[in-house]
Amino acid sequence: MPKHIVRLLSVIAVLAIIALSARWYFKDSSFYQYGHYRGNAPAEIASKLPKHQGSASCQSCHKAVYAEWSAGIHRKATKDNAVPGIVVKSGPNCEVCHTAAGNHPSKEPMPLSVEDRMTTITHSHDHVHASNVPGRKLLLTPDEMRGMCMACHEKMQGRPSTQPQVVIDAHAGEELCVTCHNPHSPKINFDKVPRMVAMKKAEVGNAATGKTVSANCATCHGTTGVSASGAIPNLAGQKQVYLSNALRAYKSNARSNGIMSAMASALSDSDIENVSAYYAKNSCKAPSADKGKAAAGKAKYAASGCASCHSSGGLRNPGLAGVSASQAWPNLAGQNAEYLVSALKAFQEGNVKANQDGARYHAIMTNVAKTLSASDIENLAAYLASSNCR
Amino acid sequence: MTIQEQIENTADTDETGISRRGFLGLLGAGVAATAAVVSANSDASVGHHKSDKKLAFQQNEAQYEEALNNPPKIPNYNWNEHKWSYGVDVSRCIGCLRCMEACKAENSVQEDANHHRTWVERYVYLEGSAEAVIDTPADPKNVENVGSEVHFRFDNRYKDEKVDKAFFVPKLCNQCEEPSCVQVCPTGATFKAPDGVVLIDTNYCFGCQYCVQACPYGVRSLNEERGTAEKCNWCYHRITKGLNPACVEVCPTGSRVFGDLNDKNSPISLFIKNNQVTVLKSEMGNKPNLYYAGADKEVS
Repeated sequence: MPKHIVRLLSVIAVLAIIALSARWYFKDSSFYQYGHYRGNAPAEIASKLPKHQGSASCQSCHKAVYAEWSAGIHRKATKDNAVPGIVVKSGPNCEVCHTAAGNHPSKEPMPLSVEDRMTTITHSHDHVHASNVPGRKLLLTPDEMRGMCMACHEKMQGRPSTQPQVVIDAHAGEELCVTCHNPHSPKINFDKVPRMVAMKKAEVGNAATGKTVSANCATCHGTTGVSASGAIPNLAGQKQVYLSNALRAYKSNARSNGIMSAMASALSDSDIENVSAYYAKNSCKAPSADKGKAAAGKAKYAASGCASCHSSGGLRNPGLAGVSASQAWPNLAGQNAEYLVSALKAFQEGNVKANQDGARYHAIMTNVAKTLSASDIENLAAYLASSNCR
Repeated sequence: MTIQEQIENTADTDETGISRRGFLGLLGAGVAATAAVVSANSDASVGHHKSDKKLAFQQNEAQYEEALNNPPKIPNYNWNEHKWSYGVDVSRCIGCLRCMEACKAENSVQEDANHHRTWVERYVYLEGSAEAVIDTPADPKNVENVGSEVHFRFDNRYKDEKVDKAFFVPKLCNQCEEPSCVQVCPTGATFKAPDGVVLIDTNYCFGCQYCVQACPYGVRSLNEERGTAEKCNWCYHRITKGLNPACVEVCPTGSRVFGDLNDKNSPISLFIKNNQVTVLKSEMGNKPNLYYAGADKEVS
């Protein structure tokens, strides 16, 4: 064979050997096992861990809330049998609003893979709340809270008529959905939603009768509800539902204070409604305050998100500072600064397991108060105390 | 004779005596013959729709036997026992987009408005219009309305309009019996598993995006963070553990239905049995495994 042919063939042979060994080296041994792909790939893909754990996984710890949900319309298969013979679950389960549980609870508090959502609002547990996680938002604004509900219930072209839908401004104005609806079981049952019980009763509260009941309160809170001392809260012009809720909380010891619990336990349910109605209609009076502190407080009020709840306009519209949007939340404008300071400090001390004198736990207020320094509290109190209360 | 006809006549005949038209005809016949041979060959290699055995796409007999006798080691799961399928009841969808957010969280899809494995389209027939106006959650107006690229909401832009008909249509991977994406993948990074799901092996995908272009349904995208193709796999890591895909799990109205066609009482079997179902773009011949009930003529 001519020399040049031999050379050519040997070059080809060498290239072939290189090609074959490269193929042997680079090709995964499981390639072509089941087809033109790596046979190990399906098992690798299947080995990923699920992030959505399903409502059943919430049930073991959150029994009460799970029971509430499963009895309610958000669990009910409202549209089952719309197509005969098909049984599919219907209604949002836990992770629709709360987002995927992920590693919760073994490794994380309710961990929000996309962004913090509902936990700061709805969970009154001593979890590490999202407020303590850097970069997480402290609170949902009223718009965001309502947005959770509006994702499914906003009246929109294209939504099937079987879906309950509302035009939010006409339906609720500035009020939050949760004032009337329990998101876990949103059909309003007046006997089961405490705020609704309060609101319903509030309508029958009689201010004139309440005035006679208020005689017992006048020693500390003043005859019209402008109190005798800075440490004691003004009641004049306060939200009626807030007042009756507070009295009921004192009566049941859900909120404890030696004097108030004793006073409230002497009141009947109708006394509570009547006296609340009486104080709510009285006019309030804003005390004067240190202007420097008030200015600093005004900035802090805006920065801390107080306006989400304690402003007549919410965050969406400019409103009166310290005048709450909801009947169930207190007005702060014109309140005594000394009382406001002690209340914020009590919230700071608050712990879900110990709700005694000098400490108040509230899922939202405790988290907010923990972000405030002592001077922040002084400033906020001075600002709110000097704000116009009506 | 017009000038036009004169030009055509001169063009039709050249000096060899074969008319140009005739030559083109011969050429066409040649191409057709070649195509016939090629398609016959590929039929022989794919062959699954002619065989009694249900070979997966691009699988030969030996590989079929291997898949049957030595399935992948997935705990408590044998891919020969399942034939997954998916149903969408258009009339139930409320466009809340919880499915989109759940999917992105479950599958760590790139967090911006334009990357998603499943989405929902809004079809609106304005009064007197024969054509639907279609928008998706990635529409800039919808993104602006929600103010965030990680949350999805439809804006209420038709609030004050007169609308003849409007509805929402969930979209996701059709997991075709004859997937175009698998056919074009040069590395074997995407493939049709015998249980019906088209999967992506991210170790072998190098992001050439042939599959993105090949898919007639537009369900594929490029995950720019990973540099690999991205698409719905019906949450393969969930369904192999006996769970529903995340979107089915969170759908509050039950408009998404999932199950095993081998089980006659599974939700999907009942869905197909009790509804007049259609598939999207049946003319493409991809044989989708995603069935729609109540889909309008405009939906494709």
